Amino acid sequence: MNKRKHLTSLITAGLVALALLVTACAQPTPQVIEKPVVVEKEVPVTIEVEKVVTAIPLPPSPVTISFWHAYSEAEMNLFEDTLIPKFEAAHPNVTVESVQVPYNDFRRKLLTSIAGGSAPDLIRSDIIWVPEYGAMGALVALDVLMPDFQEYADAVFPGPLETNFANGHYWGLPLDTNNRVLVTNTAMFEAAGISGPPKTIEEFLAACKKIKALGEDKYCFADGGTYAWAVNPWIWSFGGDITDPGFTTATGYLNGPQTKAAYEFLKNLIDQGYMHPSIKGGIGNVGIDTWGGFGNDEIAMILEGPWFPTIFGTEKEYSLSLMPAGPAGPISVVGGEDIVMFEQSQHKEEAAEFIRFMLSEDSQVAMASVGQMPVLKILAEPGSLIDLDFYGIFLEQAKTARARTPHPNFTKIEEIYTLAGSAYLRGEASFEDLFNPAVEEINALLAP
Amino acid sequence: MNISLRKQRILYAFIFLLPGLLLYLIFVIYPILKTFQISFYEWNIIPGEPSEWVGVGNYIRALNDPVVRISLRNTFMYTLVTVPGQLILALIVALLMNYITRGSTFFRTIYYLPVITSWVVVSLLFNYLFQSPKGIINHILMNVLHLIAEPIPWFMNASTAFIPIEALGIWKGIGWGMVVFLAALKSIPQELYEAAAIDGANAWQRLIKITLPLIRPTLVFLSVILMIGGFNVFISVVLITRGGPLQRTEVMLSYMYHQAFDFLDFGYGGATAFILAAIIITLSFIQIRFFRRPVGD
Repeated sequence: MNKRKHLTSLITAGLVALALLVTACAQPTPQVIEKPVVVEKEVPVTIEVEKVVTAIPLPPSPVTISFWHAYSEAEMNLFEDTLIPKFEAAHPNVTVESVQVPYNDFRRKLLTSIAGGSAPDLIRSDIIWVPEYGAMGALVALDVLMPDFQEYADAVFPGPLETNFANGHYWGLPLDTNNRVLVTNTAMFEAAGISGPPKTIEEFLAACKKIKALGEDKYCFADGGTYAWAVNPWIWSFGGDITDPGFTTATGYLNGPQTKAAYEFLKNLIDQGYMHPSIKGGIGNVGIDTWGGFGNDEIAMILEGPWFPTIFGTEKEYSLSLMPAGPAGPISVVGGEDIVMFEQSQHKEEAAEFIRFMLSEDSQVAMASVGQMPVLKILAEPGSLIDLDFYGIFLEQAKTARARTPHPNFTKIEEIYTLAGSAYLRGEASFEDLFNPAVEEINALLAP
Repeated sequence: MNISLRKQRILYAFIFLLPGLLLYLIFVIYPILKTFQISFYEWNIIPGEPSEWVGVGNYIRALNDPVVRISLRNTFMYTLVTVPGQLILALIVALLMNYITRGSTFFRTIYYLPVITSWVVVSLLFNYLFQSPKGIINHILMNVLHLIAEPIPWFMNASTAFIPIEALGIWKGIGWGMVVFLAALKSIPQELYEAAAIDGANAWQRLIKITLPLIRPTLVFLSVILMIGGFNVFISVVLITRGGPLQRTEVMLSYMYHQAFDFLDFGYGGATAFILAAIIITLSFIQIRFFRRPVGD
């Protein structure tokens, strides 16, 4: 009896162990929605059945494609409630799984999933990541996969399209574009007696002087740091650049006289107390709440993108204008997202179909209603379906705005000049002492 | 089937251990070995793509990297400040708890609360507390206590940026140390104190001559565990300063994470992780070796 009891508990223990092991090692079940195929036709004899069955082509088996994005609430609601159902209605065998991943976690989550072999089929990728993923071999070359790629390439703005190019191929197509324009605080401008947004660097400086006169805790301008998104508009407007047009060297560009003038200009803004010190870096991870400062009449000007009006709301009066023009003009920075497909995708044809759908005029117009600036050239024409009152200034700025260095090593390149710029604005060393070594490091990363 | 009782027991033990052991092997040992392998490669994260063997290249690069030196120094400093800080404060609280008879459960709960709160939540909270110029800490120092004339820009400089991070580390660790100390204090026989009191020993002498020697094993255990915890500081740094300004508040793990997950440099990240592991193992060994003399020596 005792022996039997022992044996029973032995078997139970073994089963528990096995169950735990199986649960631990089990592969996640792929989310496939099974829809039974029903042939609704009565056939009297068996010989005819064969004929009938072979005559009806089987509908394609149901597939699910996953799409990761960092859409805001309003954008995601429209995407999930309107666009996806429309696509699924037109493609009854395809289900689109929309996964919202916060921007700050996006890269890390994605890399983990690539390394684990479970990358999504498609993502809405920040334009600056595409060359890197492409060069890494993670993406599908769309110019190879899609026979009609050229049609789409011709239909979109060339600037955003170029952000998809690396190693001789196009790894994606632009999905939405944006750039930064100058947002001015009407109340502060009125209090300081400034007639309107500054059009040039000189007017910008004159405005800053008047804003500072409003009080020690009033700042003319603020930005979050010395990363590319923040400093490149000033560098370009001053006529400087990060690298040569072919992205082969930074010598004479990042450490050239025009770039130096741009950094000196920014440093001067800090020294005069015009610029909020947040740009120097080191304000903690929460950072300065530039929008909060703007709303509380502490900050008079910021550079922002087309999402600003929809998220910031209408409580406060402000105006949008072009980046103040420097010696090279009013040059801003291009942002935006591309849609890219992963090599690990099991449903490339369906995913390509979804890309076509997202680049259709209807989808682009729909997303434009929630602040996603379209990439189709046709929508920038007068009389188009998008609200040109809203997008007008961004479309105007798009004519001169430029993309950040489209290079597989961009992330590292950006960190190098972000750190050099931060050290310079903090007054830790001369421009040459900081930027000449930075240029050497960047050149090493640009070398093929 | 005749299995001896002893063998049966071992078999049972093994079967019951098996699930845990397998989970441990799969989720702890395997990743460690894999990271060790990765640290010798220019690792390509795409499955199936070839990775380039670089030997000890990543380790040499790490030893010559100025940011690794800064990270190491910061990690050491954090440990040097937070371990004694936690030990001393936890001991004081435990001694007080040991003496009070009423409300000790209430106080134990209060002191233990920081331990069970999320690192993420309290890191963000500390970030807000220490904001400049309008954080509450600056407000208290300036307008209530009148200790400073100007608000301190805590996160602008590495020297001040570590104050919130270290304060958080100490504050969050006191409760756990207190519980462990309290258990050790309860195990000291009361007669020893009574005898000492009869001999005329005052409270300080009783603490130095009786309490501390008798809780030394606990002290060693706590200092080793806290040191390992100190070297593994990560979440608070990433969430409070993200290594800035100018990478001057990077610690080993935040820098490793930055290299691996921002630059996809998993080989280099792996190498820095193993350098840290080697340091921790060496220091733990020294600590145990030199401080764990038998009670009464």
